Amino acid sequence: MDYKFEQVKIVGGIGADDEFWRGLERGEFCLPTCASCNTWMWPAHFRCGSCGAWEMRWNVVEPKGKIFTWTRSWYAFDRVSERAEDVPYVSAVVEIPHAGGARVMGMFDGTMDGLNEDPRIGTDVVGHILPPSEKTKGYPSIVWRPVASGLRA
Amino acid sequence: MSKLRGAAAIVGIGQTPYYKRGASPHPELKLALQAIVGACEDAGIDPADVDGFISYASERNDAQKLMSALGTKEVRFASLAWIHGGGIPGALSIAAMAVATGQAKAVVVYRAMAESSTQRLRVMVAQGDTAAQYLVNGLESPAQILALRSQRMIEKHGVPRDTLKAMAQATYHHARTNPRAYGRNTVLDDETYDNARLISEPYNLFDCSRENDGACAVLVVSAEHARDLAKKPAYILSAPMGTLNGGGALEENIRPYSFAGQVGVATRMWAESGYGPKDVDVAQIYQNMTGMGVGSLIDHGFCTPENAGEFIRFDNLIVSGGTLPVNTSGGDLAEGFIHGMGLVAEAVRQIRGDSVNQVMGAKLSLMTGGPGDTMSSTGLLGSEETL
Repeated sequence: MDYKFEQVKIVGGIGADDEFWRGLERGEFCLPTCASCNTWMWPAHFRCGSCGAWEMRWNVVEPKGKIFTWTRSWYAFDRVSERAEDVPYVSAVVEIPHAGGARVMGMFDGTMDGLNEDPRIGTDVVGHILPPSEKTKGYPSIVWRPVASGLRA
Repeated sequence: MSKLRGAAAIVGIGQTPYYKRGASPHPELKLALQAIVGACEDAGIDPADVDGFISYASERNDAQKLMSALGTKEVRFASLAWIHGGGIPGALSIAAMAVATGQAKAVVVYRAMAESSTQRLRVMVAQGDTAAQYLVNGLESPAQILALRSQRMIEKHGVPRDTLKAMAQATYHHARTNPRAYGRNTVLDDETYDNARLISEPYNLFDCSRENDGACAVLVVSAEHARDLAKKPAYILSAPMGTLNGGGALEENIRPYSFAGQVGVATRMWAESGYGPKDVDVAQIYQNMTGMGVGSLIDHGFCTPENAGEFIRFDNLIVSGGTLPVNTSGGDLAEGFIHGMGLVAEAVRQIRGDSVNQVMGAKLSLMTGGPGDTMSSTGLLGSEETL
C-alpha cells in the first residue's frame, strides 16, 4: 500500500512513529511495545530504554481513553494556518490506559446530536480515524469524541 | 558543594534597546556586536580580549562571524547550550566551567535576534523541529503546547487560575518604572487582564511573552579576575542544566507533566549553592507564559500546588512589600523578550544594586530558565558575602 502521508513527511521530533501513521491510514490505531520486554514505548523510539532491545512491535489498540489535557486555540498560528477557519478549535491529549498510559494527541469534537460538550480532563473519549486532509497536513488523524453513558460512541 | 560554586562571576552587561519585532534598524549580527561591546565597556575589558563565546538555542551569530569585527586575538572556546530558552542559566554554567578550567579568560554569553534576519520568533524558537503529532492536530506554538500543561495544572492540580494573573500583574507593575520596558505604558488592572483576547486557553494575550528584536550579552570571568574589575561582581553560585528521567522531547508524554520540568535542576541548585527558596532576595522568572512561571515557582519549592494561591499573589511578588519580588524589570512579558536573555542582565543589576526596581540589599538573585522546555536550567547569582 502506498501511504499518502509519506509524500509529505514532516521532519521533526523523534521520528520513529511511521507505523503509527501507516496504521491510521489503514484505519487502525496502533501503538508500539518493546518486542523483547513488552514495555509500552510512546512516543515510539529506536531503542527500548528499559531493556536495550532495538525492535518494536506494533499492536492494534482500541482507540479509547481519557482526556489528559486540552487547549482551545483562539488564534490562527502560522504553521497550522490550514485550520484558520476552524478557530477556535480544541486539541486534546488523550491517555490510553490499556497502552501503558500512552498519551496520544488529536482534535476534540464535543458536538453531536445537537449537543456541545466542553472538553474536561478525565472525560472518557473514543477516537475516530480521519483520512489525510489539507487541515492535517496530508496526514491521517484522530478526532476524539466523548462517550456519554455509551450513547454517543 | 560544586567546585564551580563562586568560581566565576558576571562582570559586564550589554544590551541594545528592545525594538518592535521586525523593526530593528540593524541586522542580528550587528545587534550581537553592540551587546557584546557594551558588556565589555561595562566591565572595562577590551573586546579584543574576549576569547570565549557561548549562546543557546538557535543563535546564529557565532564566534566565527563576530571575531573579525571585535578584533578578537584568539577564540579559545565556543559553545552552544543545546536547549531553547531553558538553556540560559546553563549557558552561564558552561561559561563558568570555561573560565574555571582555564580554557578561556573572558567569555561572553549572548543572544541576538531580529526578524529581518530570521523569522517570526515563535517559529524560529521551534527550530523547525516540531513532531507531526503536534502539527497534525493544530498545535505548533509554545503558547499552545504550554497551554496544555497549564490547563492540567489548573484543572487537575487545583492551582488557582488567578496565580497566572498575579504573575502578569506583578511583572507589568515593575515595567511601569523601567524606561527600557516595551510594555511600560500598559496598566494591567483586573479589567484589562480579564477582558484580554484569548490566545490558547487558559492563556490570554497578557499571559504570553513578547516578541522583540534586540540583543543582550553578559561577560563572565573567573572570580579572581572579577575582583580587579570596576563593577561589583555577580558570582555564579550554581547554574545546573538538564532533566530527570521522564523528561525530554516526549510529545506530551513527560512525567511529571503539569509544572515546569525544573524539579531536578532546582534541587541540584539548592544543594550546590547551599541556599534554599527562603534565602532568595529577588527572582527573575522566565515566563514564556505566566502559567509556566507559576510552575517554576512550584518546582523551585517556593510554594506547592496546594498553597500556590496564597503565595502567588500580586502583593507578595512586588518589590514594595513582597517576600519574593519577581521580574523586577518587567521580564519577558512587559520589558521585552530576546529569548529571555534580558532576565540575566536584571538578575545582575539586582546584585549590583542598580535596578530601577531595586530590592534593597539584595544578595541572592535567582534566574530561572525557560520552563516547560524539553530540558531546562536554573541559576543562582550571589554577591561576595554569599560565597
